[in-house]
Amino acid sequence: MNWIRNIKSNMNSWAILSIVFIILILLPNLSIIFQFFSEPNENWAHIREYMLNTYIKNSLILVVAVGVLSAIVGSSLAWIISAYQFPLRNFFQWGLILPLAIPPYIGAYTYHGIINYTGVIQTTLRNQFGVTVDQQYFDIMNMPGTIFIFVIFLFPYVFTITKAFLARQSTSLIENARLLGSNPWKIYFKIVLPLARTSIVAGVSLVILEVLNDYGVVKYYGIQTFTTAIFQTWFGLGDLASAIKLSGTLMLIILGLLIAERVLRGRKRFSFTTTKVKLLKPVQLKGVSKWVAFSYATTVFAVAFIIPFIQLIYWATLTYEQFFSEDLLSVIGNTIMVALIAATLITIMAIVISNFSRLHRGLTAKLFPKVTILGYSIPGAVIAVGIVTLFIGIDKFMYQNTLVSSYVLSTSIFMLVFAYVVRYLAVAYNSIESGFERIGTSFTEASRILGQNITKSFFKVDLKLIRGAIFGGFILAFIDILKELPLTLILRPFNFETLATNAFQYASNEMIHEAAVPSILIIIISAIAIYFFHHVLERE
Amino acid sequence: MFVHIRDLQYRYSNSDHLTINKFNLTINKGEITTILGESGSGKSTLLRLIAGLEMPSKGNIMVGDDCMCSQSKFVQPERRGIGMVFQDYALFPHMTVSENIKFGLVKWSRKDKKARLQEVLELVNLEGYEKRYPYELSGGQQQRVALARALAPKPKLLLFDEPFSNLDADLQIKIREELRKILKTTGVTSIFVTHDQEDAQALADRIVILRGGEVSQNGTPEEIFGTDCDISDRIAVKPRVLSRT
Ligand SMILES: Nc1ncnc2c1ncn2[C@@H]1O[C@H](COP(=O)(O)OP(=O)(O)O)[C@@H](O)[C@H]1O
Ligand SMILES: [Mg+2]
Repeated sequence: MNWIRNIKSNMNSWAILSIVFIILILLPNLSIIFQFFSEPNENWAHIREYMLNTYIKNSLILVVAVGVLSAIVGSSLAWIISAYQFPLRNFFQWGLILPLAIPPYIGAYTYHGIINYTGVIQTTLRNQFGVTVDQQYFDIMNMPGTIFIFVIFLFPYVFTITKAFLARQSTSLIENARLLGSNPWKIYFKIVLPLARTSIVAGVSLVILEVLNDYGVVKYYGIQTFTTAIFQTWFGLGDLASAIKLSGTLMLIILGLLIAERVLRGRKRFSFTTTKVKLLKPVQLKGVSKWVAFSYATTVFAVAFIIPFIQLIYWATLTYEQFFSEDLLSVIGNTIMVALIAATLITIMAIVISNFSRLHRGLTAKLFPKVTILGYSIPGAVIAVGIVTLFIGIDKFMYQNTLVSSYVLSTSIFMLVFAYVVRYLAVAYNSIESGFERIGTSFTEASRILGQNITKSFFKVDLKLIRGAIFGGFILAFIDILKELPLTLILRPFNFETLATNAFQYASNEMIHEAAVPSILIIIISAIAIYFFHHVLERE
Repeated sequence: MFVHIRDLQYRYSNSDHLTINKFNLTINKGEITTILGESGSGKSTLLRLIAGLEMPSKGNIMVGDDCMCSQSKFVQPERRGIGMVFQDYALFPHMTVSENIKFGLVKWSRKDKKARLQEVLELVNLEGYEKRYPYELSGGQQQRVALARALAPKPKLLLFDEPFSNLDADLQIKIREELRKILKTTGVTSIFVTHDQEDAQALADRIVILRGGEVSQNGTPEEIFGTDCDISDRIAVKPRVLSRT
């Protein structure tokens, strides 16, 4: 009776908790998949006939254009900064990650505010130079404008991953090429791009997932995508069933993209040739090329961070009395509270699942990490659809069996927290998993042989050794939740505002100045975390 | 018979052949057994099976009067009372020498812990190093801490996974003699894994030669390498047993 023994000896509290967590994560996704195949209604026929093509076309244009452009901007900056020395290079190392602190929807309304008729550019032109421009050329609320916004605020994903890769890469190839005297362009296209392909694709896939997740930018700029369509059918038409069908379609598209990513990455996921790390030594640039590199980095930094940030500060000074309003304080309190609770839950679940899967052999242990990534690949609006149907189902069941007197779950903050957990588990998981990978299993094994069980070993040994990774994972999840928009808009209880929904709603109501204060708070908290994170990583 | 392993079989889930096959071994109490085999022959895997870090697909393991593993039973490593010195020592980097050594003394009183700490420190000749952290010790000292840590809880059986492979040659010979003395003083039964014939000869009461996961020879050092060589000669002996056939 071998298998009974095997199951019995593998069934510890870590295994049981992991299984429970994984089932919780899967439930909302399953609830979409089941209902995806239900009988369609008239709305759906109409949507499929007249609108689905537009959604698919717009979403694909965005994905392709933003993917390609952010790959170019991100990888070229990563290359310049890894390989060359020029003024302010050390600052740009982490400065160019800062645009991530500005959520694209905030960037979107800020740039609209800068460029439109009453914005700083046009007013200056009119008042100082008496020039009135053709509005047609000063409109950002269109497809190219949307692409621009996504690229400048999302390219750092490609930049950081590629830069980290280039830093670890055994450098002989690049150095040889450089010594051979080929010009930088040639090196970039012939060597860096193919060599760093894996990490560029990894970065671009994060960018694409963000683009598909976005609701704020496309809604504000009036671009019809899947996400806006889900919102519209659900809240505009009150048709949850069709929203589910849209969500299922989007999940299929994402599945296709993820498979494409696998193929593009190639078989080798990590192409380190040697384990010995030789740091890439930057070459001092001289003359014109020094200033070209400097101007390129500076321009990107200005456009993607400084300009919108200064504009927001200026607007905030116009409405600073709001700083002290009680409303704002309660919004800050709400935001930090849900983010803390959800990030803590996420961290605990990530620790449990990753510890389980590293200490056990077998199929389940291998599949669990894949499930944690699921939520991160699926847009917030889709997760929201899944979770609402799930919770309403549970509520209905409890109500009909008179366990409760009204729908409690689907009207509570619990639903929102649960959604954050499903969506951002992967963020903390990746960080914690890499921490575990760094220490390996031998300390745990030594501890167990010395008489401590898995749980005691975890608290006495593993936890102490991966504190940094755990904290890092917590911070990353916290920041993502702080900025989150589509899930929060859909799932928050009545009258519950976070900084993100607050900013977005002011902006949607054309109260851009009022939107500035919550926006700046989000940016500053995120920027501090990024700075901190970059330095923790640097030291480790 | 103190240790009794019968018909042990194991295969890694991602491997297509048996890593350990039809492995049988019996050991008397207090004996030092060396398992000699080329790299990749399954030595580490075997130790991991005995320690309970892997679960065999077949076979029984008995230590003392306790069944550790059979078709219907599997004792978790923390409950086996078996000690192990790892190839890379696996000293906890965030603990001092004394914390490392006291780690396995679960449920001992404070006083007993302290007394035991002094006892094993003396045994491995490391008095005065209690407060150091592992990274503040040399390779040889780290190894002795690992030994002290494994000995401290008085294990029924002590396993060594190529404990000398990280030391330079001079130190290796010195520590090897010391180790045999320590093991004989404490009288602990031990299994010692190596790919180095000299190590095996210098330490073992009994040598088992492992090839491709199966026992290919089993006997005293004299039976295996012949009686005609004394210790000093052994160093010159060609590793004929290990040369590929
Ligand atoms: N975790 C593992 N997964 C799959 N195969 C393994 C694993 N560890 C070891 N092996 C394989 O099992 C065989 C025996 O390995 P090992 O016991 O480490 O040998 P030794 O310690 O004698 O060098 C080798 O072929 C090795 O590649
Ligand atoms: Mg080995």
